[in-house]
Amino acid sequence: MTPVVECLVAFLFGSVVGLLMQRSRFCNTAALRDAIMFKTYRNTKAMLMAMMILTVGFTGFMSLGAGHPMRFDVGLNTFAGLFLFGIGMVLAGACTVSTWVKTGEGNLGTLWALLFTFVGMFLFSLVWSWNWWPPAPQSMTGEPNLPALQLGFANAQTLQEKLGVPALVFGLVQFAVLLALYRAILRRERAQHEKHAQHQKEASETA
Amino acid sequence: MEFFRKTLDPVFALAAIAVLDIFLFLLLGAWTVGGGETMMTGLLAQAVLGEDLMRIPFWNIVFRPHADYWKIYISFGMFFGAFVGAVLSKEFYWRVPRRASEWLMITLGGLLMGFGIRLAYICNVSTFFGLLPEMNLGGYLAMSGILAGAWVGSVIYKKILEG
Repeated sequence: MTPVVECLVAFLFGSVVGLLMQRSRFCNTAALRDAIMFKTYRNTKAMLMAMMILTVGFTGFMSLGAGHPMRFDVGLNTFAGLFLFGIGMVLAGACTVSTWVKTGEGNLGTLWALLFTFVGMFLFSLVWSWNWWPPAPQSMTGEPNLPALQLGFANAQTLQEKLGVPALVFGLVQFAVLLALYRAILRRERAQHEKHAQHQKEASETA
Repeated sequence: MEFFRKTLDPVFALAAIAVLDIFLFLLLGAWTVGGGETMMTGLLAQAVLGEDLMRIPFWNIVFRPHADYWKIYISFGMFFGAFVGAVLSKEFYWRVPRRASEWLMITLGGLLMGFGIRLAYICNVSTFFGLLPEMNLGGYLAMSGILAGAWVGSVIYKKILEG
């Protein structure tokens, strides 16, 4: 595929995603924040649904050697980076996706957050140029590199190569875990709903 | 059209996005955000600094700015799709945070997100919709990080809200 076609495909994908996000008010920040702060799961359920479909889809195609899985070494920086990101997204009230989606709805606050995301990235580029950590993609080996606090590269496909079990099998295990979580949320929502209905009934009886 | 009058069930919306993401995974790679933004940062910095930008090793070695990077266009697409959706459903209007504390939180939040994405090489989208479904070790590290971060963020957020 030529770069222009790649960019067109990406734009088309992004447009449909943006439209669906805008119409459904899905927000990945809310999926985590609301579950933690308010014990509501509207967005969490949607996130789990996508993850279930993707786990089966990705590992299924990876079993056949198809698709383009991400390939880079991970390590302490992966945890630390997302930790900072997690704080940032709750403070900003939006993640990278919803900053674009909400900016598209005319929100100047998220546009501001986006500008400072760029500033944060530029600041990081200066820090990296000073300490050269985490290792650049060119010097990643895929193997653990403990002095650099790197654990290397592993995914369903490397498991398949090492253990001779199709990637999809691991995917189905993960799918089962996600499904159990999804069903636990549904049970919890039903319990919340019943409690709420009972409170209302009691309130109307005393009135 | 009904689609532009009623709010869509997010479970349905995300299921549809997941199916599209599988096609994207087969063609280019899983849905990702952050790489495009880094490239935009690089292109903007290049517009300001010119060739001097190449004196900062990061932009010379890790991310060489070039405009035909597909990830940029996912982000432009999301903006465009959301804009069209908002206009057609008459939900587009200028929204401006009012309080100074909100502006402060947004500024800090943006900085932390940008710095964190580059430190980890990924953002929340790649974590949940890319690495975890690929069962990449990094997905589990990233998920632990983002859950811990969201919890800390929630504590700070509550403190600020309660003043």
